[in-house]
Amino acid sequence: MDCREFREQHLSYVDDTLPGIELVRMQMHLTECPECSRQDATIRRSLMLFRSLPRIEPSPDFSQKLERKLRDARVADATALHTGRTRRLGAAVTVSSALMLAYIGLSLRQVDTPQDIVLPPVVALAISTEVQPSSGPALEMIAAVPAGLPLWTAALYAEQTPVHFASIESTSAR
Amino acid sequence: MAMIARKQAVQAQPQGATVREQLRAMDDSAVVSAFLGGEERAFAELVDRYQTRLLNFIYRTIGDREKAEDLVQEVFVRVYRHLHRFDRSKKFSTWAYTIASNLAKNELRNRSRNPLVLFQTVQKNWQDDDRPLQFEDSTSRPDDMYRKRFLREIVEESVAKLPEHHRNVFILRELEGKSYEEIAEITDCNLGTVKSRLNRARNSFAEIVAPYME
Repeated sequence: MDCREFREQHLSYVDDTLPGIELVRMQMHLTECPECSRQDATIRRSLMLFRSLPRIEPSPDFSQKLERKLRDARVADATALHTGRTRRLGAAVTVSSALMLAYIGLSLRQVDTPQDIVLPPVVALAISTEVQPSSGPALEMIAAVPAGLPLWTAALYAEQTPVHFASIESTSAR
Repeated sequence: MAMIARKQAVQAQPQGATVREQLRAMDDSAVVSAFLGGEERAFAELVDRYQTRLLNFIYRTIGDREKAEDLVQEVFVRVYRHLHRFDRSKKFSTWAYTIASNLAKNELRNRSRNPLVLFQTVQKNWQDDDRPLQFEDSTSRPDDMYRKRFLREIVEESVAKLPEHHRNVFILRELEGKSYEEIAEITDCNLGTVKSRLNRARNSFAEIVAPYME
């Protein structure tokens, strides 16, 4: 065994965890190498010194301080639990309010686009070929009626213009 | 019949055994189970078992006694809060030391970032020297007492000179008697790294202390 190998195994040697044959080889090397022997002794003495350092004890008020900190921790945990629950409740209320507002908004939009408004009736007038087209107010009225002119205005000019109902003409055509 | 059974149950219990005495006889795992089962006194038993050990470990790691006590208390607060999540198949001791090791590491990291805190710690330690030493023997000769005090200071200073990651492993092994595997778990390193650091720590420590041991 050389010094390098001795140093590599020294940890296990000091801790007495080497298998038997390696233990013997280490001991043989110590008898042959003064340098490694000195190093081994120094390390063992220093460890003995360190292990015999006096142990310190907790101060007299240690338990009191610890009890206070544990009490504070219990209070803090209880508060955090309550705050967590309150926050979750608040978040739930906020979300449900937002959903409600969204629903109301959508409902209002549907009212704005009316589905049920009934358009005023449009009188369809078929112009007879026998009648000379009038360039007077009757023709203008005909043009205006589909745009939503009230019926009574149309009726005023009705007698000026012969009325042919489209359904009669289509029936006679068959 | 019931009376016989009751008599037998009373006889089975150790005479005069209080709850605390019963807890003292249990291993860590049983004490933890007792606490989680509602026995509040079980936590006091855990504190009794570990307060001195953790205090010495943290004190030797960070070198500040007052701060070490604060950190030990913090360890117990965290244990109290998180014990219900502790994996009972593992060793309680390893878990407690892991928390302690992390707190000590954080404390050293904070100090290195804050020169003012470092100065205050050094100043406080100088003042601590005025306190009577714990192992002073008043019947010893004055020069023996000096030598002991001197040696104690040398040993403590030598440990403080070790790099943090070497010191941690060194204290866990040499003072707390932890196995390599436990140290690996506490410091979150592999076994090879633990052995390597321990070997270097021992050599460095011996080198520093050697001149004073002649």
